Amino acid sequence: MPIHEKSLIRPENLKTHDKLVIDGIDVSGHWSTFIESRVVADYNEALEEEIAALPGGEYIHRCWQCGSCTNSCTVNAINPDFNPRYWIYLIRVGMESELLRDKDIIWQCVSCNKCTYACPRDVFPEGVMKATSHWLERRGHTPKSPSMHFDEVFTEQIVKTGKIEESRTIRRFFSRTNQGLFQDWMIEMVKRLLSGLPLGLLTRMGLATFVAPRTSNWSKASAAMQEYIDEQHAKQEEALTLAQLVKVAQKDAA
Amino acid sequence: MTTKEKYKKVAYYPGCALEGTGHAYNRSTKAVGKALGLDLVEVKNWNCCGAMEVKNVDPKLQTYLSSRVMSVAANEMDMDVVMAPCNGCYHNLKKAEYDLKHDKESAAVVDKLSQKAGHKTYESGQVETIHALDWIKETIGEDGLRDRVRNSLKGIRVANYYGCMYTRPRHIFPEKDAGPGSESTSKPHFMDDLLAAAGAENVEFPLKTACCGGAHTLSDSDTSTKLVLNILKAAKLAGADVIATECPTCHTGLEMHQIRAEKRLGEKVDIKILYFTQLLGMALGLKPRKVGVHENISDSRRFLKEKGLA
Repeated sequence: MPIHEKSLIRPENLKTHDKLVIDGIDVSGHWSTFIESRVVADYNEALEEEIAALPGGEYIHRCWQCGSCTNSCTVNAINPDFNPRYWIYLIRVGMESELLRDKDIIWQCVSCNKCTYACPRDVFPEGVMKATSHWLERRGHTPKSPSMHFDEVFTEQIVKTGKIEESRTIRRFFSRTNQGLFQDWMIEMVKRLLSGLPLGLLTRMGLATFVAPRTSNWSKASAAMQEYIDEQHAKQEEALTLAQLVKVAQKDAA
Repeated sequence: MTTKEKYKKVAYYPGCALEGTGHAYNRSTKAVGKALGLDLVEVKNWNCCGAMEVKNVDPKLQTYLSSRVMSVAANEMDMDVVMAPCNGCYHNLKKAEYDLKHDKESAAVVDKLSQKAGHKTYESGQVETIHALDWIKETIGEDGLRDRVRNSLKGIRVANYYGCMYTRPRHIFPEKDAGPGSESTSKPHFMDDLLAAAGAENVEFPLKTACCGGAHTLSDSDTSTKLVLNILKAAKLAGADVIATECPTCHTGLEMHQIRAEKRLGEKVDIKILYFTQLLGMALGLKPRKVGVHENISDSRRFLKEKGLA
C-alpha cells in the first residue's frame, strides 16, 4: 500500500453499514468497514519545483523513500505525526492538500541533522523541512512560526551589528510573538543565576543590554548583506510564481 | 610542523554565546589554556558565525559570515588554525569551509559580499578550524594531562554529552571517522578520553549525540523540555553525577529545561551540568571560581566541595 494511502484510513473516510447485502451475502455491521472511494484531482504538479526553489529544498528529487530520515528523526520520536519521509513523498507527487494537513508541525524540525546523517541519497531532509516551512508561510497557508520570528529577529540583529547580544534578541523575540517574558521558569532561572554571580559580572551583563556588542566597521558588510537578502527574496518569489505558471500552461496545452 | 606544535598557538574565536550565557565556558577555556601553556590569540573584531538562524534565512549568507571570521584570522592575523569552543561556531566554520570548496555558487556569493564589505575573500584551505576538544587532545593529550593533574576527578561519574553540531552532518568533518586516533561521528570519544585522563569515571551514555532541542529552545519550549528531560534522565540512569558539556547552547539548554521540567512537568532530575573545561581546569588545580562554576545556573558548588575539588 503506498504510504499516502495508509493515512487515508481516517474516521471521516470510513463507512460502516448497519444493513448491507452484496451479491446476496449479508455484510452488515462493523466488521465490514469500507474506505470511501475517492478521486484525487487536485494535484499541484509544480509543488516539487516550488520547494526546490527555496534554500534547502534543492535535492528533494533524489529521494527514493527508504525512510531513514523518519526512522532517525528526533521529533518523530516524540510526535509520530512528524514524518519527513511522508512529506517528501507528498511533495514529489504533488498532493498539496494532504501536506497541508500537517502544516502546523513541519516548522518544529529541530535541525539535529540525524536525517541528513542517515540519508543514503544526500537529500538533506533537514533543508527540505526548512524549505517546506518557508513555502507554507510564503503561500499564506500558515502564519509565521515562532521559529521563523526568531530567525528573523536574530538575522536582523546580525546584519545590523555583526554580533548577537542574547538578552536583546530574547526580548525582541518575546515581544514579536506576544509572549510575556516573566514566565515562572524564566524567573526561577534568573533567580538561580543571581545566587552565584558576583556584582561586577552582573553590572557588565546589565550594561550589555544598553551598549550592545558590535563588530566595528560593519556598515559596508551590513549594506551588502541586506542587498543580498532582498535580491534573493525577489528571486525566490519569482521562481515560485514561474513554477506555477509553467505547470498551468502545460496542463492547458494538454 | 607537527599538529601538536601547530595547535599550540591558535586564533581563538569565542563567538557571541561565550560573551553572554556561555561566559563560564569562555572563562574556563582561557583558564585551561593558560594552565597548559597554550597560546590563544582572539580573532580581531570578529562577527557572528551566522548560527542556525541565519542559515535558516539563507545558507549562503551564513557561509559569508563564517568566511569573514576565517578571512580575518588568515589575512589580517596570519594564523593558520582557528579554535572555536562553541559547537555552533565550530560547525558553521566547518560548513563554510566545505561549501566554499564544493559549491561554486556559494563561493561566488562570498566573493561578492567580501568585496563589497571591503575585506579579502577567504579562500578555502587558508585556515583549519578545530574544536576545543581537538586543541587539548592534540597538544597535550591524555598522557600530558595525566602528568599535570593535581586534583584528580576520581569518584566523579560523568556522562559526556556532545550534542548535534559536533558530529553532524558528517560530510563537513572530513577528518573524523578517519581511522585510529580520529574522532568518531557515531560514538565521539575525545571528551571521554580527556576527562578519563583527568581521573573521571565515564559512564556508558547512549545519548551522547542526542538533540537537546536547542534550535527551538524558546520558540518551541515544550519540545525542548521533553528532549532535555530524556537526556537528563538517561544520564542519571546511566549512573552519572555530572553531565559534561562542550557547547554553550546545549549547556544552557540543559540548565534551562532542567528548571522548566521541574516547574511545568513536576519532574526533578538531580544531576550537575558542567563544561568539560571546568572539570579539566579543576583537575589541573584551578579553583572553581577561576573556571566560572559560580556563573552556571545549575549549582554544583556543594557537590564539588564534597568531591574535594573546591
